[in-house]
Amino acid sequence: MDWLISYSVDKPGMVGRVLLLVSLTLLAIVALPSLWPDTFTGLHPLKVDTDPENMLSRDEPARVFHNEMKRAFSLYDMVVLGIVNEHHPDGVFNRDSLGRIYRLGEYAKTLSAPDPDQPGSRTGVVIGDIITPQDVDNIEQAGPGAVRFEWLMDRPPATDAEALAVREKARRIPFLDDTVISDDGAALALYIPLTSKDESYEVAGKLREMIAGFDGDERYYITGLPVSEDQFGVEMFIQMAVSAPLAMIVVSLLMFYFFKRVVLVAATMGVAMVSVIVAMGLLVATGNTVHIMSSMIPIFIMPIAVLDSIHILSEFFDRYDDSKDRRDTVTGVMDVLFRPMLFTSLTTAAGFLSLALTPIPPVQVFGLFVAIGVMVAWLVTITFIPACIMLMSRESLQGYGAAFTRNTGGKAPFITRLLAWTGRQTSVYARFVILGVSAASIVAVYGISQIVINDNPVRWFEPDHEIRVADRILNAHFGGTYMAYLALAAPDTDTSPVEYALALAARMETRRNAGTGAAAGSTGVYGLLQKEVLRLAGSAATRQELLQQLESFVDSRRGQRQEPADAWFDALLLIDRERQAGHVFKQPDALAYIKRLQQHLLTTGVVGKSNSVVDIVETVNRELHTGDEQDLRIPDSPDAVAQTMLTFQSGHRPQDLWHFVTPDFRTASIWVQMKSGDNRDMSRVVAAIDRFVAENPPPYALAHRWFGLNYLNVIWQEKMVNGMLYALSGSFVVVFLMMTLLFRSVLWGLLCMVPLSVTIGLMYGVIGLIGKDYDMPIAVLSSLSLGLAVDYAVHFVTRTRMLHDRTGSWSETIPLVFAEPARAITRNAVVNGVGFLPLLAAPLVPYQTVGLFIASILLMAGIATLVILPALITTLQGRVFRQAASGLQPDQA
Amino acid sequence: MKYSRISCSTVALIMTFVTAAVAADAQPESAAPSVEEIVNSSNCAAYYPGDSGRADVLIVIKDDKGGERMRQATMLRVDTDPDGCTTQKSYVYFHRPADLNKTAFLVWKNPDKVDDRWLYLPALDLVKRIADSDKRTSFVGSHYFYEDVTGRNINDDIHELVETTARHFVMKNTPKDPKSVEFTEYTVWIDRSNYIPMKVEYTDRSGAVYRVYEALTVETIQGHPTATRARISDSHIKGETTITFSNIRYDVELDEKVFAERYLRNPPRKYLQ
Repeated sequence: MDWLISYSVDKPGMVGRVLLLVSLTLLAIVALPSLWPDTFTGLHPLKVDTDPENMLSRDEPARVFHNEMKRAFSLYDMVVLGIVNEHHPDGVFNRDSLGRIYRLGEYAKTLSAPDPDQPGSRTGVVIGDIITPQDVDNIEQAGPGAVRFEWLMDRPPATDAEALAVREKARRIPFLDDTVISDDGAALALYIPLTSKDESYEVAGKLREMIAGFDGDERYYITGLPVSEDQFGVEMFIQMAVSAPLAMIVVSLLMFYFFKRVVLVAATMGVAMVSVIVAMGLLVATGNTVHIMSSMIPIFIMPIAVLDSIHILSEFFDRYDDSKDRRDTVTGVMDVLFRPMLFTSLTTAAGFLSLALTPIPPVQVFGLFVAIGVMVAWLVTITFIPACIMLMSRESLQGYGAAFTRNTGGKAPFITRLLAWTGRQTSVYARFVILGVSAASIVAVYGISQIVINDNPVRWFEPDHEIRVADRILNAHFGGTYMAYLALAAPDTDTSPVEYALALAARMETRRNAGTGAAAGSTGVYGLLQKEVLRLAGSAATRQELLQQLESFVDSRRGQRQEPADAWFDALLLIDRERQAGHVFKQPDALAYIKRLQQHLLTTGVVGKSNSVVDIVETVNRELHTGDEQDLRIPDSPDAVAQTMLTFQSGHRPQDLWHFVTPDFRTASIWVQMKSGDNRDMSRVVAAIDRFVAENPPPYALAHRWFGLNYLNVIWQEKMVNGMLYALSGSFVVVFLMMTLLFRSVLWGLLCMVPLSVTIGLMYGVIGLIGKDYDMPIAVLSSLSLGLAVDYAVHFVTRTRMLHDRTGSWSETIPLVFAEPARAITRNAVVNGVGFLPLLAAPLVPYQTVGLFIASILLMAGIATLVILPALITTLQGRVFRQAASGLQPDQA
Repeated sequence: MKYSRISCSTVALIMTFVTAAVAADAQPESAAPSVEEIVNSSNCAAYYPGDSGRADVLIVIKDDKGGERMRQATMLRVDTDPDGCTTQKSYVYFHRPADLNKTAFLVWKNPDKVDDRWLYLPALDLVKRIADSDKRTSFVGSHYFYEDVTGRNINDDIHELVETTARHFVMKNTPKDPKSVEFTEYTVWIDRSNYIPMKVEYTDRSGAVYRVYEALTVETIQGHPTATRARISDSHIKGETTITFSNIRYDVELDEKVFAERYLRNPPRKYLQ
């Protein structure tokens, strides 16, 4: 690779031009299709993806099931609009507030338009499934022997008394209470379903416009997952546009403080820019989306890209005064640093590449493109930085370098003195250091055992963000705004059509002999039917098909035969009965089981409310009978259940039944409203139900399975935690092998792993101790710490061994290592550590977390390297330096 | 500009009649009828053929996922003002599916007040009067509303003849009380030859046609043009319902006293065969 550096030094201008060309080309490839998508159809435009569902691959079983069920139960993503009035004693239930809410509800029904992509279908609000006071049904007693179906609020109330009547009616309907109307009777929630999540931005925007024109006391809170996601997308861009550049500015200022030359600082920033542009450009150009994960790529690439430049500049800064020759100094610096830089880049890249082993697509993409960025940064650093130094005029380097300070008789800077002191102390008190580190490790292990794995996309916003505020207020009033669904499905019956036909023929025999009612004297009909059943048994593929063919047979014979019409009709009823035996969710015992599940859900402490077909059936049953609580129960027979459902479906919204049970009555869903979106709480509910089902086996061998976005979050979290563990241990091994290869020594390889292990251990130990949730950004940071912590160790060990080869003594090596090499490490730690603190100003919590932890990792890794390694080397010097002769020689590089 | 009960649908469901003369009256091109005449004639043709009637009804409800449910019933109807098209009594008795067997509805259509409705649920052994509900509620879980079955009051809308084509009078109808209904307007295509509404389109608040009634088959039975097969599709409820009438007979011997609450529990079997 010498030729590459020689070339860069010889033709520095060319290096700059090539890099400029590559960067501009990639920018163009991304910008052109993004700005003019119709002209540049062959290229991939920039696509933002804020859908947490995409954390799972499309064919992930949990996700496939989720989408199947969403379709089966006609469930949509929703904008949730919570309305609270804290000034009026009756909350929003006064004439004026409800009047405005009515207008808002009517307005929501105008937000639907023809879909330009699919002629014939509509896009926007799904009008038929909207849930507002004027679009849900009330059913109630209307005097003796009478029942009334009506819209809950068919028009805006004319008086406050009418408004209160709306409240009283709604509270009597279990489906509405705590879902549409708050339990305290002060607030309302409107649920506005969307044809697609992508519509949420526009719909929410239009609702906000309407609300802005209102002058009442009530407050409106727009929430719901699609809205949060959109908001996240917007703020993600703000972050990329503001926080990341801000971090770059701070890094630049710190570098200027250390290296004093604008050109060199600019060159370093150039390396970071080019690396980010290439990595992100390739990401977009290859058709990948900018997801919450990939939006963090620039933040991860930047410190790594800056790292190597600081090593070079630091070395150059410290050596330049000795020779005053740019070319000689640069070549000398590169000789020393080439190999450690290559290896640290490779290990860092390997760390990120290991993320490709996780089963989460956005994390895989993230790992791959950060790894690409890291290698680009390395290539650019070793060519562009030397080239830049060559391009600087001799005059501008006048007075440059550490020796200048030394020779002018000035006092050595504080940092130099501190490092020298550290070098002396760590070797003198090596045992204490090792003891201390061991103690810290024990604490770290304890801390790690305390780690709580948890995430909650709403918490990605800051506590005072409007989404978090809405979340808090609405969950204080309602049963919960976080939705998960529990599906219960009757398994397909496994008897073969032949077996079934035999059983059916036997039942016909019984019916024929019973000879009651219409079946009396119908022996002829049943005789014919029995024959037909046995004939069809061989050909029908399923029970349903057999019954269908039997019905066709009856229809075809009905008019032509001698047998009485009544007898044929009786046969049709028998066929119906056979079919309805499979309608599991008309059976009172199946419904009773759902009810028990619902009651058990409430005992978890997380679930505030649940809705199911049982709530519908019981409510209708109550109003059909006395209207009193004692009749809020499941009817006694399947027919009575069927007729209760028929009554419900005779209201304004027959379609609502199908949100809770499929039309074949073999799958039902329970809507579970939770007050918390924490994965950990969802997991708790899942575990509670698993236990309940194990202890109370359901009738009809019903199988239970969860769906809903809150549940999907749990699935990808589990995958991520396991995946990260796998990836981390994988890259641990890879890094160790590379270290062993680099130093041709297992012992040195192991030594290098120590600061890294201590850093990661301490970091996660602290997370466990302070009770910070182990969430997505924290999980990803483990790979970053792996990559960065090893960097310092590699540089430290390489230089130690080179210097030891020269001096032949560890005690003489210590002051040398704690001079320039330690300074480079310290500068790196300070520049990057402080440089990433501006991320704390980002509006999104994951970025703040990343900023804080990058800073901590760098600091911790720097300290770990400079304190632990010398202590260990001191203790093990007899063993480690025995092999040193076969180690790395400067001239080999 | 008055018209009203075009309400679509089930033309035949209620089977009566007013005057066969209406159909026979099919206007020659020259003598254009007034809006009021069109509205009245269509209402009578759709909901009042003959003085009474009976029919077997097959209701097929399709959801948007391909699922299908069926109901079989018999409908009886008697007009209570033989001279006009304002009042009638009807009785719907369900045969199938088995778990709805013997379920029955009774409707008295009143001239100036809301209809009286009763419901019998055999498995719950309950007869319930349905109090002053609006009529745009689903008919037994189908995409038809009660109003589609019994006819919308012609005085509830403002009617405009927007076009006269070779075959149809095209009427636009706007509700007088927009808050009482879920549509903003509906347009009816009335066959000029027999005043049978052939198609109705309902528009929602977003301006979309979300609900469509279509007469699929029109047959002349005992001299009365009758939509024997018709369909309503509804993109809000999602899916569609097709109703087919068979064994239609008009001017049948029906004792008006069977259209009473007590007959819900004890159906008049001889009329239901």
